[in-house]
Amino acid sequence: MKPLNQKAERVQQAAAEGQMEEVRAMQTVTAGCATTFDPGWEVDPFGGLAALCQPMEADLYGCSDPCWWPAQVPDIMVNHQNWDEGAPNAATDWRALGTTYPTDAET
Amino acid sequence: MKSALLAAAALCASALPLAAGDLLVTVARPSNLYVFDAGTRALRQDCDLGANVTPGVIAMSPDNSIAYVLLNHWQDVVGVNIETCETVFRAAQSEGDVTRRSLASLAVSKDGSEIYTVRNPVRKKIDRYEVMQPEFAVYQADAGLEAEPAALFEAPRRATLMATDRKGSVYLAGHDVYRIDPATGETEVAIANASWDRPAYSPPDVLAFWPTGSQNDEFMLMYTAAVFTDESQQELADFVWGYQSVDLTTGETEIADFASFEVLMFSGVRSGVDPKYLYGVYTQLSKHNLETRELVKRVDLPHTYYVINVSSDGKEIYVGGTNDDIGIYDSETLERIGEIRMPSGGDMSVSTLQVVPQG
Repeated sequence: MKPLNQKAERVQQAAAEGQMEEVRAMQTVTAGCATTFDPGWEVDPFGGLAALCQPMEADLYGCSDPCWWPAQVPDIMVNHQNWDEGAPNAATDWRALGTTYPTDAET
Repeated sequence: MKSALLAAAALCASALPLAAGDLLVTVARPSNLYVFDAGTRALRQDCDLGANVTPGVIAMSPDNSIAYVLLNHWQDVVGVNIETCETVFRAAQSEGDVTRRSLASLAVSKDGSEIYTVRNPVRKKIDRYEVMQPEFAVYQADAGLEAEPAALFEAPRRATLMATDRKGSVYLAGHDVYRIDPATGETEVAIANASWDRPAYSPPDVLAFWPTGSQNDEFMLMYTAAVFTDESQQELADFVWGYQSVDLTTGETEIADFASFEVLMFSGVRSGVDPKYLYGVYTQLSKHNLETRELVKRVDLPHTYYVINVSSDGKEIYVGGTNDDIGIYDSETLERIGEIRMPSGGDMSVSTLQVVPQG
């Protein structure tokens, strides 16, 4: 297994030095969406899927409005304020939500 | 469209003062502030705020006549009369190259004369952003539509929710729960969180986003934390839910665990009628007995709801935010007994759901 970034490299180094006890996945110390560094939609705080927002669309604007998970959704607060234009209801209008690019940013 | 809204507003304005029971106040996409009659589940008022209303944090004036909302992506503080839809207060906080956002921080003094927020200034330079000192801002409620702060004090970083008590103090949720004197800006720790002295506990995780403690006259937040078998923190004993509360009449504080961490809850509420029960919501609705630390009941919900509130008589639970419906539940059985849909069909997202007693 080859580490692809610096963090993975440090995990590998910790394993080699017998210090894996000091490595804790964030899912074990946080309850869901408390910081932008929490697990996203991939995994819940219990390591599964059942505690993710249901359905996933219910969480789209909860994450984009307050710029909560800017890695997973465009932030509506600062850079992509019109991302949700014409899509007031995420559950029915999600198909209208497109991909954004840095050049789309308004600020 | 606008004239129709005005006509509807006029009709509602004549009806509201005679109302009894609770009103529900929330905001939803695209730009609506909604007032519903909780008893009849009927729309009472639809105010077009003319701007993006999300994330939609709402604080009510003490007489419940004015809804103060953080608008325009948390940059503006706007006060709206919920009977007439008239905007009676506006503070545009950003100016020039400095953007100021209030991250859910909004509270009104118990005499209604002052509005408080913590705003986070960022100066946009040619090549970078300059993060500036957060400010605790005091506004006079009668400052009109171009309000400027009457006072500014340095504020802690990472501040979110706020509340006020009847002694004149302001409470602010951040790394700790702070107590602020709005006359001087003097700040102290009211409830220790990041700095709590619980050697066998991990630091707490607190999601403080929904200012909904008014029904029990409290500023109440929930936390989760890992509890270890001893201070060495090597062996996990439990993962717990706890609550922390400030009594907004006496200023007294309490903090206690109440359950093992079995499901997520984004927000919780207690009724003033029987505050030993705490209701929490996310994808389930849970009812906990704080005295016995027992889970009384838990039911699955049709979808995730972020915010929860309770009727003045303690009989109904309202779950909202997230999508475009408010679910109504019997507080005894947790049976779904009603539903209110947003007329615009727009999502509430992380908006507040306030319960406003009438009569």
